[in-house]
Amino acid sequence: MVRRWMPWIMLGLIVLTAFLLYFLIWASVNAQLQAVKNGTIPAPAGGTAQLEQTLRMIAPDRVAQFGVGLVSGLGSVMLIVFAASHVGTEFGWGTFRTLLAHGASRTGFLVAKAVSLLLYAFVFIVVGTLAAIGASYAVSAVAGISVGSGVDVAEVTRAAVKAGYIFLPYMALALAIAVWSKSAGAGIAAGLVVYFAEGIVATLLVSLNKDYAEIVNWGLSRSVSAVTRAGSSAAVPDPTASTLPDPTRAAIVLAVYCVIFLVLAYWRLRSRDVTVGG
Amino acid sequence: MTGEVVLRTNGLVKRFGSITAVNGLDLEVRRGEVVGLLGPNGAGKSTTIGMVLGLIAPTAGSAEVLGRDVRVRREEALAGVGAMLEVTSFYPYLSGRDNLTGVALLRGGGALARVDPLLARLGLAQRGGSKFRTYSLGMRQRLGIASTLLSDPALVILDEPANGLDPAGQREIRELIRELAGENRGVLLASHLLHEVEQVCDRVLVIKKGKLIASGTIAEITRGGGSYFEIVVGDQTRAAQILRGLGVKEIRETPTGLDVVADPARGAELNRALASAGLYASAIVPRASSLEDVFMELTEPESPSASPAS
Repeated sequence: MVRRWMPWIMLGLIVLTAFLLYFLIWASVNAQLQAVKNGTIPAPAGGTAQLEQTLRMIAPDRVAQFGVGLVSGLGSVMLIVFAASHVGTEFGWGTFRTLLAHGASRTGFLVAKAVSLLLYAFVFIVVGTLAAIGASYAVSAVAGISVGSGVDVAEVTRAAVKAGYIFLPYMALALAIAVWSKSAGAGIAAGLVVYFAEGIVATLLVSLNKDYAEIVNWGLSRSVSAVTRAGSSAAVPDPTASTLPDPTRAAIVLAVYCVIFLVLAYWRLRSRDVTVGG
Repeated sequence: MTGEVVLRTNGLVKRFGSITAVNGLDLEVRRGEVVGLLGPNGAGKSTTIGMVLGLIAPTAGSAEVLGRDVRVRREEALAGVGAMLEVTSFYPYLSGRDNLTGVALLRGGGALARVDPLLARLGLAQRGGSKFRTYSLGMRQRLGIASTLLSDPALVILDEPANGLDPAGQREIRELIRELAGENRGVLLASHLLHEVEQVCDRVLVIKKGKLIASGTIAEITRGGGSYFEIVVGDQTRAAQILRGLGVKEIRETPTGLDVVADPARGAELNRALASAGLYASAIVPRASSLEDVFMELTEPESPSASPAS
């Protein structure tokens, strides 16, 4: 894995994106504030408080909400791509077949893939969180924003652990689809569709009728929201937050999904005849 | 054939839906011998190898390597096998050396120490550090063969090892295969290059539609095809009639005359009989069936209107 470019590019991207977004938010909000002060644009209805509040998101004491949230959102997408690619390319290259022919076990293969994905997710969230902290301090210094009490390490760690945890079911899903389809592309597509579409559908259904929450709360996106919001104030308000499931139940639901996806992948891998192409 | 049996299959069957790819195959490979697995495309050679390596689950029957059932004790069984599959696949972003190192780590034992000597043995020492994706087809084949020897195996399985190799490379591979047998390993060689099989194999198994249709040494197999005369003559129908009158049972019409299966000592008799009937052959050439002749004969597609040999 360390010899491939993809993991390094993804780590580089998350670092770059963190710095870029922090900078862009400051630049854009600061420009608006300046424009309001100069009278170039009219002041918003509630004054500039909202803009100043947004600017405050950059401060190091808000990394747990904003910075880690940023890493979590982008990271889910990137890790879906990575998980599907990490497994799917073995079939595309035919290396799965080669490994088995040299005595590797199918169980060992899947365990090795799952463990390496887990390790990568850990490295990714650590690097991403450190990048967010670095970006927060750097942009705060440039913008002259008070660092306040600084980074609350315990809070940021809790947020990072939760972010890392919510990566797992999506990674397991992408892995399972890649194993079933023997294709990285199918794993990426299915993972991203579920990631985006399920969340939209769930939010829409709950907005229409809160009773639907009983159903959609067993899905991935609502469980992810519940875990993310547990014990912390969210960076982005959610009008359906009151109907989210209990965080503990949500965490268990996510763990069960992980197990289901891995068992499905394992079952398929065990029972498949491996012919040319994997 | 006194060496230890390193591979034995018993009634191996594989069905893919309604298609039977391998049908009750029994084969045996012993230490020190090279066994050729021959068959036309789709005969079931790669499926058989897949079942031997535990890549494909047999519908019935079993495969044993060094006495270990591949389905029950796969990892143990494959510890004694080095296999190169028809399509040689390694990680494209790793060098040849790193790919071998990866396989060696998987194999354990003293495999790591064999990486560089094997690269040298297969003529890849200079390009060992180059990425696999930059390798030519021939170099990929060589790397595949090198990977089979990392575990010092008792059984080496090679599926079309000469694919993509130039004549000199093919010759080197033939020599290598003989060396492997000389090192007291059993070698199962699947190939469609009949001259290659003819030159290196001690025994040959011919399969068609998943069934074993002939087996034995090259001499035994070609003797089954028999010696024959290639007779260049006009009026093939009348000539065939005359020769049948001499008790010749197997006659095939060719564009220039007849192929007549008969004892090599009967050349003069056939010539005399034809001449007596006013049919003068422009040539009567004694031929011995080559492996290719026998292979073509054994594996030729069955025509629904085909009648028994005359």
